[in-house]
Amino acid sequence: MSQHLSDPSSLDRRQFLQWSAAAGAAGLLYATQSHARTLSTDARIVIIGGGAGGMAMANRLARRLDGARISLIEPSETHFYQPGYTLVASGVWRAEQTARPNTQFVPRGVDWVRQPATGIDAANRRVELSDGSQLDYDYLIVASGLQLNYHLIDGMTPELVGSHGIGSVYAGMQAAARTSDAIDTWVAQGGGKGIFTAAATPVKCAGAPLKMTFTTLSRLEASGHRDAFEMEFMAPGLGLFTQPYVDQFVKQRFDEQGVTRRHHYRLSAIDPQAREAEFTFVGPDSEFTSHHQLREQEFRGEGEGERKVVTDYDFIHVVPPMSAPDFVKASDLIAEDGPFRGEWLDVDIHTLQHNRYPEVFGIGDVIGAPINKTAASVKAQAPVVEANLVAQIQGQALPLRHNGYTSCPMITGIGKAMLVEFGYDDNFAFLPSFPFIDPREESWAAWVMKDRMLQPAYYAVLEGQA
Amino acid sequence: MSIAGVLTILWYALAPFLWLIVAGLALLVTIQAVAHLRGYRLFAYRCLGANLAALAVGLSALWWIPLLTRSQLAYIATVFDWVALLAAVFGVMLVAWLLLHPLSFLLRGAKRDAGSLTASP
Repeated sequence: MSQHLSDPSSLDRRQFLQWSAAAGAAGLLYATQSHARTLSTDARIVIIGGGAGGMAMANRLARRLDGARISLIEPSETHFYQPGYTLVASGVWRAEQTARPNTQFVPRGVDWVRQPATGIDAANRRVELSDGSQLDYDYLIVASGLQLNYHLIDGMTPELVGSHGIGSVYAGMQAAARTSDAIDTWVAQGGGKGIFTAAATPVKCAGAPLKMTFTTLSRLEASGHRDAFEMEFMAPGLGLFTQPYVDQFVKQRFDEQGVTRRHHYRLSAIDPQAREAEFTFVGPDSEFTSHHQLREQEFRGEGEGERKVVTDYDFIHVVPPMSAPDFVKASDLIAEDGPFRGEWLDVDIHTLQHNRYPEVFGIGDVIGAPINKTAASVKAQAPVVEANLVAQIQGQALPLRHNGYTSCPMITGIGKAMLVEFGYDDNFAFLPSFPFIDPREESWAAWVMKDRMLQPAYYAVLEGQA
Repeated sequence: MSIAGVLTILWYALAPFLWLIVAGLALLVTIQAVAHLRGYRLFAYRCLGANLAALAVGLSALWWIPLLTRSQLAYIATVFDWVALLAAVFGVMLVAWLLLHPLSFLLRGAKRDAGSLTASP
């Protein structure tokens, strides 16, 4: 169903602001850059997922393609600004600040299919929907996001978040708020042990587990009883963060701030009633790109695999293993070999075109890439997918390549952050957007950007304006 | 990031506060206009109290701007942090002066009028 614009005579304040923003942005764009030419086509384009990637593509293609039949498959009426969840779970934002209705972003002329996709028949160019119906496509954009696999941690469910001292920033808007409450409860206890975990798979916003540790440290320090609290960070690999400088910085800062680091452990089970967590030692050489690969290594019993450690906690921050959604994993579009096999969408990480189905493109969290599961990556990927899809429709060579740009405003305490931007090349070298902000320095300006500027920037990306 | 990108994002960031910016500007223009109609001239009128008050408001921003951004002065660390904060402080000081300076003129005028009324037979 397409979105219809409301009667202008009944504009409320929010609509007025939206229209003002859109008009202002359009004016700025018109004044400062030339628009890409529209293409006339009757192609059927299906976009799976209305998150950051899917919505940005719907808006871009609705503007760029004249006559195309674009369908956006998105069951949720609400759009969640997920980069804000760390601020919610840190007690800085209210949960409601991250939610907006999807009607605000779905462009006119796009058919919004309000139900989930359940399958992809890539050979016959068909997407299956939850009501049993099917959508045929000429071109497909997979922007389904990823799946949180809490079930791979024995005893853990997302419903536990907020109770029994369990927090998890990833489990949704309300869970982020409950995580903040659980931290408050722990701080109010006046002491005890907090465990912060990381997952042995690629995760969205890979900095979030680190940010949660840093902001919790801020809250403990603000309580005036920091010394009464134990903090541990359990990492499945040797690294804590992909970008080498930041990895070393975080390790050093954890050491200075009294966070005990334990490497090569993954959270394998949890007993909420007893407040005990079981960690599996995954071997000294463990650097994994997929849960599949990790399990394989564990089951082969290489190194010291299978050694279990059970520890008690007063608060634990759980980061679940993540993968492409099950219906993508069950399709022909999933990677068949390499580090992402069986877990992530098989795309060329530069052109974002599927490696075996040229009419399929991927964007956002679902793609098999060494980094890039952030909204900032979507900002960089969306113009690439747009240009390359348009070229594919015209039978031309793909003109743009994604350089792997991703950004993580690494919050190192409530009130300060590092604006970390990097890409695939030169061992994840920095790609700073602003020459006057050094990605290696903590700063107030980077914090203000995270707190005040990135959400508007995100909405500009959704609307295809940035 | 391109200038167009920066401007677009700035526009999105400011859009929810347009009403506040417009209201603030309207207040500023109104006070300036009323004062001008009553003989106020920006650089001809001298008032040490208004100048000091504007200075105090500006300097207080060193404390409340970081607080408003849920941070603290201790976290102003880089050169760019200081440039941004001092620019904001100067902006606050300027706006405060543009408001307080004509206001003091109007208040003095009102007092003078009240005095002349009291003194008249």
